[in-house]
Order: sequence, then structure tokens, then C-alpha cells
Amino acid sequence: MFEFIVSHYNYWMYIALMMVGFYAMMAKRNLVKKIIGMNIFQSAIILFYISTSVKRGATVPILEHAHEGHGAVAHAAHAVDVMQYANPLPHVLMLTAIVVMVATLGVALAVAIMIYKRYHTLEEDEIMMSIRRG
Amino acid sequence: MKILSLITVVFVGAALIYGTLDMPKWGDPHSPASTHVSPYYLRHSLHDAATPNVVTTVLADYRGYDTLGETAVVFTAGMACILLLRAGRKRRGKGHV
Repeated sequence: MFEFIVSHYNYWMYIALMMVGFYAMMAKRNLVKKIIGMNIFQSAIILFYISTSVKRGATVPILEHAHEGHGAVAHAAHAVDVMQYANPLPHVLMLTAIVVMVATLGVALAVAIMIYKRYHTLEEDEIMMSIRRG
Repeated sequence: MKILSLITVVFVGAALIYGTLDMPKWGDPHSPASTHVSPYYLRHSLHDAATPNVVTTVLADYRGYDTLGETAVVFTAGMACILLLRAGRKRRGKGHV
């Protein structure tokens, strides 16, 4: 039981972080706070993916002794110990996800600026009242 | 509204924690994420691309089309930002005239 908690509590931490962001997206009225919640949510997902790439005792996926003479390269390609390097695939996918995260953040902040220019507030209920009044 | 969101958050969090009970252990080298295609990348990237950094190889060589699509996303987002912000500037300018 204790071993199970130790080997799984990282996932629970990311879920807690994700739920903080989820709550901020749903319950906060300020649009900028909603955007911050969305970013916390995305960061939690990124941390989760990165944690799946961990191997105990492994190092970053940069091959050691890669450029020690060209004759050895072809031979070394078959001698790579897979357990020695962390899984590179989640890192790559999360690089893409970070780019998408920045893109959504930029568009969301631009939309928030436009809303502020039109309604002179970022509070959701005040914007809704202003829309209903016409 | 806040109570409703809190209940939703608690239920979704509980469902996700229930989902983690089947997840592999932290740092397990034999987890499904590290066994299918990533050993191939680690073994062959130096021979295929002559780059010691496997992340770079996968990003730019094996999954180059993915990265191309990613630049399309960044371009679209940048254009959306520019168009949104410039549209606001123009409208305000007309209002002053």
C-alpha cells in the first residue's frame, strides 16, 4: 500500500493542479483569471506527460560519445542502451503542446483586450448585464 | 455557481484519480509509454540523422510534418492576434474622427 502511494502520488499531484485550473476556469468571473486557470490546466497536463517519460536511473535523451569518430557511429547505433536514456517522445509532444499553449494564451489575451475596449470591464457578469441592456 | 463548480471539480478529480490506479509506476522503464516506438528512436536516431540529441531528431526528422503543422498553428495564432488588435485600433480611430 505504501509503495503504491509512493509510486503513484505524482499523478495525484498533477490531478490536483489540473483541478485548480479547472475550478478557476469555471468559477472565477474575471476573464484574465479564467485564462490563468487555463494555463494552470495545460501546465498540469504537460507535467503529467513529462512524468511518463521518466525512467529510474536514466539521464536526458542525448546520446553519449556520439561524435567520437565516424567509423564507430554505425557500430554505436546498435549499442545504445535504451534503459539509460529517458523516453524522448513525451518531451517532443510537449514541446508542441507548449507552443500551442502559448498560441492559445496570445489569442485569448487579445480577445480579452478587445472585450475590455468594448465593455470597459473584464468581469463576466458585468459584461453579460451590459449585453442584456443592449 | 461556485458550489456547482466545486462539486464538478471534486467528481472529475475523483474519476481521474480512479483512472490513475492502473497507471504504471513512476520511473518504470517498462511502462507502455517507453516500450513501443521510443526504443526505436533511441537506437536509430544517431544512424538516421547523425544528431546526438534524440529530442531534436524526433522533432525535426521523424515527426517533421508535425512540426510543420505546429508552425502553421503559431502563424495562425499570430495572425489572429495581429488582426484582433489592429481591428480594435482602427475602430477607435474612426470613433475619434
